[in-house]
Amino acid sequence: MGAGATMNVLATASIAVQRRLGRQRIRKFLLGSIPFIVMISAWHMNTVFEWLPPVFIPAIGEVWDAFFILQEDCVGFGAALMLDNSCLMSTHILSSLGRVILAAVIGLPFGIAFGILAGMSRPISKILEPIGIFANSISGIAWIPLAIVWFGVGWMTTLFIMLNTIFWLMFFNSMLGVRGVARVYEQSVLTMGGSRLDVILHVYLPGAMPSIISGMRMSMGFGWRALIAAEMIGGDSGLGFMIFSSAEEFKIEEVFLGVIIISIIFLATDHYLLKPLEKWTIHRWGLVWKPT
Amino acid sequence: MPAKLVVEGLTHHYPDEYTGESVHALEKINLEVQEGELVTVVGPSGCGKSTLLNILAGLLPYREGVASVDGIQISGPGSDRGVVFQEHAILPWRSVAKNIGHGLELKGMVKEEREARVQDFVELVGLSGFEDKYPHELSGGMKQRCAVARTLCADPVIMLMDEPFAAVDAQTRITLQEELNRIAIATKKTIMFITHAVDEAAFLGDRCFVFSARPGRLKAIVDINIARERRIWADMNADDEFVRARDEILRLVREEVSVAVEE
Ligand SMILES: Nc1ncnc2c1ncn2[C@@H]1O[C@H](COP(=O)(O)OP(=O)(O)OP(=O)(O)O)[C@@H](O)[C@H]1O
Ligand SMILES: [Mg+2]
Repeated sequence: MGAGATMNVLATASIAVQRRLGRQRIRKFLLGSIPFIVMISAWHMNTVFEWLPPVFIPAIGEVWDAFFILQEDCVGFGAALMLDNSCLMSTHILSSLGRVILAAVIGLPFGIAFGILAGMSRPISKILEPIGIFANSISGIAWIPLAIVWFGVGWMTTLFIMLNTIFWLMFFNSMLGVRGVARVYEQSVLTMGGSRLDVILHVYLPGAMPSIISGMRMSMGFGWRALIAAEMIGGDSGLGFMIFSSAEEFKIEEVFLGVIIISIIFLATDHYLLKPLEKWTIHRWGLVWKPT
Repeated sequence: MPAKLVVEGLTHHYPDEYTGESVHALEKINLEVQEGELVTVVGPSGCGKSTLLNILAGLLPYREGVASVDGIQISGPGSDRGVVFQEHAILPWRSVAKNIGHGLELKGMVKEEREARVQDFVELVGLSGFEDKYPHELSGGMKQRCAVARTLCADPVIMLMDEPFAAVDAQTRITLQEELNRIAIATKKTIMFITHAVDEAAFLGDRCFVFSARPGRLKAIVDINIARERRIWADMNADDEFVRARDEILRLVREEVSVAVEE
């Protein structure tokens, strides 16, 4: 097959892909992957030219293999789901994920609810604001020693650390969001016979959405960081625990693997949960500007 | 028959907590609006028209004087008094149709019943085809028409309208004015209509309240004796009563504007 024919095939394939996914999305994807491609190339070049020895930076292949080595002894799907110790990799991933989901499911709604209440009511904000500022002044991870004393090593400690971070960030963001909603919207619902609850559901909640979403971004970001730190010191499983204990045993490829998995999970939640939420709420309603 | 809406000795100051001075917005307002009457309110910018409307809507607490509906003192907002706000208060997170049907939704009307009524009002204000658009996708005039429909559709007994047609084009404004006149005939709603346009005030009002420059006082009341059925723009310039009322309102407003400028 000649070069011309190859080009033809490639061009046809590329058009087909563009049709399927849409030009814009491919463009966005390609632009977004540039930094990663640069990073991965540099990483690979390090292995080829041996600038830094493999004890500091492992080969890409080794990191890839580490994933399967850790999962090697696993006897099946059921065992993986039960967080069995034989399934090391999936157990670490699932326990971190489980903690994040649990903390988000409890922390986000409560943070939003109390934030909205504090945003609309002086007495409630007077009660909750000082304690919130107090809680925020001691950053999430500074609670770890105390939490270990209280709850011991394990789920409770990590959950406590995460909730502490997520709840208060969400609380302050929602509160400020409510305060930024134009009064006239509230008035228009009240003059149509709406109740306080109607105002909360039809005005404060959607009106505070830009703040609520950036609050979710912040609390999930800081929440993950707090979780990893908490797992390192006060955990008995999870990705943070895995990174920390692997580093102690100089298994550098497992450290790399842990870091990469954390960032992939984080990118995925942002892309599949927060971005669509943003798209269907605040972008649709024209509450924020889309950059061009 | 006792008046629907009564205001007696109403005075309002806005305190300013930063400078310690206060703005004297309204001074001893006395007025009555009869049931089924449409009154228009004109006056220089900043004379307190929106302030009066906010007090009547129950959104602004007042200390001096009395404002009452059906003899009951106003102490908060209620679905009997609908408001078209000067800054178009349509919710950005609701589509046009959901904005217009909001009042009925708050009253608990079921969806099927609501939809037919909403469609009537969508057509009335000429927003057909835009039912599922969100407010940021509308032009300024369309937003204002949506705001009017939103309040109308909620079907209040009293309508308080703050310059509702200010941002629409001349052609649409004429349509909406005639439409409001038709609604006034058909529904016998009590309407207070604030405007800057003198011809609009004369065309729509049974009476026109002219306010003085700040602090707002009720300077004069101009009666406009034209049967509602005869109020069609095509006939108005040949109507002696309309021309007289319009010229008188214009004269009264001009005096105030020159006072405001001299200050
Ligand atoms: N929320 C407020 N706080 C303080 N001062 C206010 C407030 N609202 C209005 N004022 C002041 O009260 C005065 C009357 O305002 P108002 O909005 O009632 O005027 P208006 O007659 O509606 O004017 P326009 O025709 O320009 O809408 C103005 O001088 C304004 O500065
Ligand atoms: Mg005004």
